[in-house]
Amino acid sequence: MKNDFLPWRFTITKPRMMLLFLAAVSTAIIVFRLITGFGLVTNLNDNHPWGFWIAFDVLAGVALAGGGYSTALIVHILHQEQYISVARSALLTSLFGYILVMAGLFLDIGQWFNFWRPFVSWGHSSVLFEVFWCLSIYTTIQILEFGEIVTERVGVKFHAWMKKLMPILLIVGVIFPTLHQSSLGGLFLIAVYKLYPLWWSSFIPIFFLLSSFFVGPAMICVESIIAGRAFNHDISTSVLHGLAKISSCAMILYFVLKIYDLSERGILRLMFTGNIEGNIFLIEMIAGIILPVGIVFSKWGITKKGLLSYGLLVSGGVILNRLSIVFIGLSKPGQGSYLPTVWEVLTSLGLVAIGCLAYCFIVENFRIFADKDNKKIYLKNSA
Amino acid sequence: MTKGILVDIPKCIGCGSCTVACKLWNQVDFDDRYPSSGKEAVLSDKNWTIIVSCEVIDKESRPAWRFIKQQCLHCQQPACVSACFSKALQKNSDGAVVYYPHLCVGCRYCMVACPFDIPRYEWDKTFPLVTKCQMCSIRISQGEAPVCVMVCPTGAIEFDERDSLLKKAQAKMNKDSNYIRGIYGEKEVGGTGWLYISDIAFDQLGFKTNLGSDSLPIYSHNYLKYIPGIAVIWGMVLTVLYYYSKRKKELLTKNQELEDSSDNKQEKEVIREKSFETSKDKHN
Amino acid sequence: MGIFTEKTSTLSRRKFFKLLGGIGMTGAAASISGCTTEAVGGKGWIPGQYQVPGNWPVKVKGRIPIDPQNPSIVRDDQKCILCGQCLDVCEKVQTVYGYYDLPIKKDITCVHCGQCALWCPTASIKERDDIQSVLRVLDDSNMHVIIQTAPATRVSLGEEFGLPPGSIVEGQQVAALKKLGFDSVFDTNFSADITILEEAAELLNRLEQSNILPQFTSCCPGWVKFCEYYYPDLLSHLSSVKSPQQILGALAKTYYSERVGIAPENIVSVAVMPCTAKKFECQRPEMNSAGRIIGNPRIRDVDFILTTRELASLMKLRKIDLNGLDNEAYDQLMGESSGAGVIFGATGGVMEAAVRSLYFLVSKQRPPEQLLELNAVRGLDGVKEAEVIIPGKGSLKVAVCHGLKNARMILEKVRAGNSPWSFIEFMGCAGGCIGGGGQPRTSLASADEVRRARMASLYNLDGRVYRKRASFENQKVQNLYKEYLGHPGSELAETLLHTHYIDRAKDLTIRKK
Repeated sequence: MKNDFLPWRFTITKPRMMLLFLAAVSTAIIVFRLITGFGLVTNLNDNHPWGFWIAFDVLAGVALAGGGYSTALIVHILHQEQYISVARSALLTSLFGYILVMAGLFLDIGQWFNFWRPFVSWGHSSVLFEVFWCLSIYTTIQILEFGEIVTERVGVKFHAWMKKLMPILLIVGVIFPTLHQSSLGGLFLIAVYKLYPLWWSSFIPIFFLLSSFFVGPAMICVESIIAGRAFNHDISTSVLHGLAKISSCAMILYFVLKIYDLSERGILRLMFTGNIEGNIFLIEMIAGIILPVGIVFSKWGITKKGLLSYGLLVSGGVILNRLSIVFIGLSKPGQGSYLPTVWEVLTSLGLVAIGCLAYCFIVENFRIFADKDNKKIYLKNSA
Repeated sequence: MTKGILVDIPKCIGCGSCTVACKLWNQVDFDDRYPSSGKEAVLSDKNWTIIVSCEVIDKESRPAWRFIKQQCLHCQQPACVSACFSKALQKNSDGAVVYYPHLCVGCRYCMVACPFDIPRYEWDKTFPLVTKCQMCSIRISQGEAPVCVMVCPTGAIEFDERDSLLKKAQAKMNKDSNYIRGIYGEKEVGGTGWLYISDIAFDQLGFKTNLGSDSLPIYSHNYLKYIPGIAVIWGMVLTVLYYYSKRKKELLTKNQELEDSSDNKQEKEVIREKSFETSKDKHN
Repeated sequence: MGIFTEKTSTLSRRKFFKLLGGIGMTGAAASISGCTTEAVGGKGWIPGQYQVPGNWPVKVKGRIPIDPQNPSIVRDDQKCILCGQCLDVCEKVQTVYGYYDLPIKKDITCVHCGQCALWCPTASIKERDDIQSVLRVLDDSNMHVIIQTAPATRVSLGEEFGLPPGSIVEGQQVAALKKLGFDSVFDTNFSADITILEEAAELLNRLEQSNILPQFTSCCPGWVKFCEYYYPDLLSHLSSVKSPQQILGALAKTYYSERVGIAPENIVSVAVMPCTAKKFECQRPEMNSAGRIIGNPRIRDVDFILTTRELASLMKLRKIDLNGLDNEAYDQLMGESSGAGVIFGATGGVMEAAVRSLYFLVSKQRPPEQLLELNAVRGLDGVKEAEVIIPGKGSLKVAVCHGLKNARMILEKVRAGNSPWSFIEFMGCAGGCIGGGGQPRTSLASADEVRRARMASLYNLDGRVYRKRASFENQKVQNLYKEYLGHPGSELAETLLHTHYIDRAKDLTIRKK
């Protein structure tokens, strides 16, 4: 089904109906939450001030959206143009990721009408202050970067101008994510007596930065392979494998640093105490780091299935890491642990659904994939 | 000068006057779910201070009751103040850590940062705020003691300059051997405005005794202080990389202009992949 | 002025509403965006006594500690205004708070007198509510519920129904209780007479054997606990006789149970008392003599206590107006009373009653008129002394005190070994039971007028209404001894009517002067 009266096209399929439904449910919950506060919708309480929305929407969301800056770094700054085919879709995913992060954040703050305060009232001693500024600036920059794509169709006269601006945008657009990806970890530095020692570390900003860097290619693999199937857009596995190899090197670095940090503090044994913290940590390390690295450097590394599982494992591992920091790591002994309500999860899923729908819309209307494939989409849709 | 409050734990009889005074003076309601004194007392958005009774074993190895007043400890270097990105929490020069609701965004980072788990949140309100003891900053500025101090019938809570309270506490410990050595709050996370002395070990009374003497804002500061430098250096590195690799690329393409570029090779690969896919589709 | 009127005259209604709306919108916008600069807190109220600079010594402050498990009194924090009255009465009148060293042990020292409840201006402190428990047993058809009424409630209950202080409502009270559904209504005066007979016998015994003297009365549970806390070394002076309440309770589940043929398990024993300490007393572990006799120690001699205030609210709950009731009489078996029994409710009453009986015990004669009006021990003086001549025993010096601060004065003398007295009456509350912690609140906590009026009515009942003046004249009590107990001091009487005391010194660190 397509709309012939407008120059925009949007195909409605069954999965998209599902996504629309999720988005509607989520919108309803958001409205309810904004009217009634947190008490009825969430499981947040004084022992668990941060929950699913912070952990998933913000911490994991920002990390997963890290694909934007890592590809920007590889493709545009280092000019490894063999990867250019994924650059635009990575930017798009990243942009939507950040907009969703902003939405999630907005949802999670109590005095949402006061969101602009930190722009005026500078609490510069807070890591969150830096995160807030970086997030805001980077989202703006991403929108400008995306402007280059938009101006291909809308407001074409600005296109040349946008193109000239690109190098600055690209460089600034790598600085800020680097800063705030690490600062999201830096948030927890002050929680030195509260975050479980397996996760707390003076290196936690580096861990967050590294993990956001290596999860980028993983997300690109997942996204390209899935979107490739959906839009019949083929992506070269060698491109993906190349990216995955870069990401795996970062993962090895991450792993070594983690082990070094734990042994330096003499708490390696905490991994094997058999408590929930230790077990989750082991899962993170084995399923989220060792296994995918193994896949990439084995013969499965060049197959789509292998790359997909590498991508899923790494993104899953990073999500698990962010969730367990908030759910388990910050839990106070004897005060129970936090589990989100179905409403909290639905809200976040709905936000993701909105992101997916927007992604589909953009892909159908703008030149996101390589030229040839785009034409194919146009043909397919007009057929 | 920094004011402080000294709690002499053995002198507390658990009457709960302080908890009621706090509610009267600050116009905070009672909440049936969260008692403000007794065994089940918990801090909540409506309980800025509580008296927790705990059963301990006293010096004569007999069970005894002790009552612990809990509230914000008003750290000398408060983690919450450094964590607040909109300055809704500020430390007064007289020592009180005060909350300004109109500046609050509601991110609850203060709750995550507080090593004593003090700030509470109004979870049931549409526009919730953070709540905690304000050390009656208005009274202090008028030269009056906080209400909880004023109403304490046994003098278990004392208000004075922090330095003289430390001396007083030391003198008490020297005079009476029943007190255990050490003032809770003298060193913890860089020192707190509220100080406690006790005749029972603090860990038995539910105090967090694992807190070091480093102030917590240092942890953030030691990270943040590198950020501007890193940003500038990283920016320069990226710029250099950008132009360097661009130049290299340009040279490369010039040299290989006439040859079959690697792009062609890639395209071939893509086609091979595609044919593989289509054959798979046929099988399905 | 001129400009002002000119302006208002041009202000149309539409403009005015627009202005108001604009102000409102601006205000709402300002408050939503948080354009205020105030810190939170400090907008409430605190009593004026605390509004003083820094370390100013506030005299009356804070409040007494109350154990949440306290069987007698509870406090509603929501009503407390920290006026400090409870602490003041506890420390200055009852000398309980402030007479122990800190830290406390595993006990919050309390004699359950309930004076704090009486002084509390907002009724934040009140008795632990037993109304629901009593209603439950009243509605249970398997349960035979008996009730006894203390001497002092008959001269104070009327106040809760608009009658002047001291109004005698004995008959209406009985009628109300019957209307409430109690199966039998007995008079604590009856067991007060028994108390006197036993106590006089004990005193005589002590006098004859030159045993530990002076003898202390033991019918006030607040005073008893006070003695257990602060003067455990003098516990041997305490008469071993139970309080009238516990005696009647024990008899209800033995003597009465046998007479009416109802198993003690099915009898619920309730008491209307002017006292909150009675709630503590009935829960003392040793107060299960009937249960011990029949081999079921879980059965309590007295199950529930209603204070005078609780009885009034129970009546109001059941829409019973005291004023609209005709007098009714107590149930026969344990309903007769002498004047000696009824004056138990006033300070000096127990002493006067005991002297009457002692005189008879020694001389086998009716006491003379001046002993029947022993004015030296009547009235509201803190410590009262008298010397009575008992034929054959010579002169007997006695003392009476009420309010535990006065008790302390006497006890220090006894402890020092220079007390001239042979028998001392102690009452915890000022004025005796008529000023008890469970009595109707008065507009002023220390209203001596009210106390005097209630006392006058008790002496009125003793002198003018009741025909018999001395305990030994109580026919039903005589029957009880004849048919059931044998004689004062018999083995059964020992089990049912006597008790022992606990040294509570280990529960607190007594403050040294």
